Amino acid sequence: MNQLPVLDIRLSFRRGGVHMDDHKVTAAMPIERFLPKEVVLPLSQHIGPEATAIVKRKDTVTRGMLIGAEETLGAPVHASVNGTVKSVIRRPHPTLTEASAIVIETNAEATDPQFEEDPEWRRLSQEEMLTRIAKAGIVGLGGASFPTHRKLRLPPGVRIDTLIINGAECEPYLTSDHRLMLERTEDLVKGACLIGRIVDARQIIIGIEDNKADAAAMLQKTIDDFSDTMPRPWVRVCKTRYPQGSEKQLVEALANRVIPSGKLPMHVGCLVQNVATAIACYRAIRFREPLMDRVVTVSGKGIRTPKNLLVPIGTLISDIVLHCGGMTDDACMVIAGGPMMGRALSRLDVPVIKGTGGLLFFTEDQIEHEMYGPCISCGRCLDVCPLGLEPNQISLYTEAGLALETLPFGTRDCFECGSCAYVCPAKRPLTQFIQIAKSALMRKTALGIAVRPGGPHG
Amino acid sequence: MGERRLLLQPGPHLHDTLSTREIMWWVSASIAPAFLFSLWVFGLQVLWLIISGIAGALAGEYLVNKGRGQHPTLKDGSAVLTGLLLVGTLSPGLPLWMPAIGSFAGIIFAKMLFGGLGFNVFNPALVGRAFLMACFPLSMTTTWIAPRTAGIPDAVTQATPLALVKLQGIEHAFTTLGVNASYYTKLFLGLRSGSIGEISVLLILLGAFVLVWKKIIKLTIPLSVIAGLLAVSFFSGIPLFHLLTGGLWFGAFYMATDYVTAPLMPRGQIIFGFCIGVLTGVIRIYGGYPEGICYAILILNTLTPALNHWFRPVRPTWEGAPS
Repeated sequence: MNQLPVLDIRLSFRRGGVHMDDHKVTAAMPIERFLPKEVVLPLSQHIGPEATAIVKRKDTVTRGMLIGAEETLGAPVHASVNGTVKSVIRRPHPTLTEASAIVIETNAEATDPQFEEDPEWRRLSQEEMLTRIAKAGIVGLGGASFPTHRKLRLPPGVRIDTLIINGAECEPYLTSDHRLMLERTEDLVKGACLIGRIVDARQIIIGIEDNKADAAAMLQKTIDDFSDTMPRPWVRVCKTRYPQGSEKQLVEALANRVIPSGKLPMHVGCLVQNVATAIACYRAIRFREPLMDRVVTVSGKGIRTPKNLLVPIGTLISDIVLHCGGMTDDACMVIAGGPMMGRALSRLDVPVIKGTGGLLFFTEDQIEHEMYGPCISCGRCLDVCPLGLEPNQISLYTEAGLALETLPFGTRDCFECGSCAYVCPAKRPLTQFIQIAKSALMRKTALGIAVRPGGPHG
Repeated sequence: MGERRLLLQPGPHLHDTLSTREIMWWVSASIAPAFLFSLWVFGLQVLWLIISGIAGALAGEYLVNKGRGQHPTLKDGSAVLTGLLLVGTLSPGLPLWMPAIGSFAGIIFAKMLFGGLGFNVFNPALVGRAFLMACFPLSMTTTWIAPRTAGIPDAVTQATPLALVKLQGIEHAFTTLGVNASYYTKLFLGLRSGSIGEISVLLILLGAFVLVWKKIIKLTIPLSVIAGLLAVSFFSGIPLFHLLTGGLWFGAFYMATDYVTAPLMPRGQIIFGFCIGVLTGVIRIYGGYPEGICYAILILNTLTPALNHWFRPVRPTWEGAPS
């Protein structure tokens, strides 16, 4: 077989993108485990209907037990620790403001139940594997939180030839996927092969940015050592360039296919899964192990000891802060997720949910305080938009109250990577203007009123 | 942990450090060597002219800010830059109050009345120059100073090379100027009469190099302007002379590249630049003025919205995608 050295070609998407300082200070820190005294498990941690609580106050639960049922459109929720249910109430939620949640008090003495291997795991049918993924409550762990079993269940007529495993981790600061690729390499390769079998992929490509060359080398070595897996995954190194880890951009870089407006990777025969998701799928298929933990990068100038933490889902951010030595005195912003697409939190008593890949603590001097100015038509946003949209126009129209006229500038295609707002010298909140325009367009179509396909320019 | 106020802000939470103000200062700083050279070549009055031009621009902007009850916008550096660029297009022998009038008018009529920075159709500095040309044509065209050769500048008036060509015809003018190979070196270095910012091609290129290196300007527009002028000047028989005289380099790198009044997409920029170059050549060779870049840029400024409309980013459609 053709054995290319890992680092000889550096792929990338075709247009736009920004290169920025990656701040990956936690890259060399091994994943540490942390067991909190209490977890808060929201019943909605995914895109789709909320799960239904099937436990009540004072119930004793063991780690991995089903506590929130939902298997068709959403994802079930499992106990992430051994302990006792304290309450089932409305609690603050990192993205939904507030949502129903099951609060479990940890029993630190209890031993974790063992998940036994299914000896038949290699011979399962596609349907059986999908069912196990659905039962394990796995969602896209890259941040999108779309239930994985739904993504893998392809609509009739759609064929996937290329499975892409997303190890780009293009957001600055974040290193949780990087550490997983280094520490759980075998699980990842096996997970990739299993997902490849579920969707009948002819090739599997693991895409990694070149600032994680060690992970690429490690993966290549692991793949070389396996002799039985067919198809054998490829490791491909991409240029470090934001937003390399976005689905459309990664498909462009690795499979050299452009996904047009309004279409998904599957429409060009590709399917993208994050590395953490692939590992979770492997555990679910081989051991019937539900999704209970996740790796969170705790980083930024505002936290005393940055770490890569493996925490039970539901761990409160305030507990993580204490475990990491507390915030520095000048820390003033906490971001759930990456610095580009993550969101600032208003309170720390919210839990880590399935999609939380990072917790970043920013200090006073890292915040942009300047008021935004008028657009000076420098064209930088046009240069960096990976989709060729026109953030300058969308922002000007939205500012003038004409959000509904922004359709021809590509408002609907924007996935809010933030590259435009990153480079804007006038510091205009371009991404936010696009969000406003997008929701205005959505409300309009929801009401059944046709959106004028033009605007003054059309 | 106590109560700590957490800041909320929409993403992205990282920003590039380059700001509008920084861009304005970089442009201003990059043209400084060319101005300092003029100070040395033409004498101290150049400094007073610069101060006068900047003062007029600041006064115009502040007045409109006050009148409209806006936040003062002086700190964004764009008014200073407008004043500076206007002085760059003026003769070093002008009365000291004149640049102030020009930049005041340019800022008010071309920029502030259109809504301020970002909304102007015309380059404010060039409108300022056009305003002065209309009001004080004599001072604007007859106060050129001969460059110092050695010792102290002596403020002898001397027509610009382009004006001489217009006045006397190519052959006669070339004899007067003593055009030979070393004369072109003098033109390149800037030892000639001309406007404050335009004389030294070498120092303008140095400034432009800084701007390109800082990724503040791209070469698309300037190169197209130069190509356009070269294309036309071949008909005059003296392309090299046209290339090294007048305000070509200053206009191409510092006026035609103004973000607000230039097109956004590369194809629009090439057409914009090339047309400026061609029009400059046509005015110089066939028109009534010795130099035409100011009007060429102002005229092409009007085409910018149309060019932005015709040339927009192309996004892939379903038909164009491989199956």
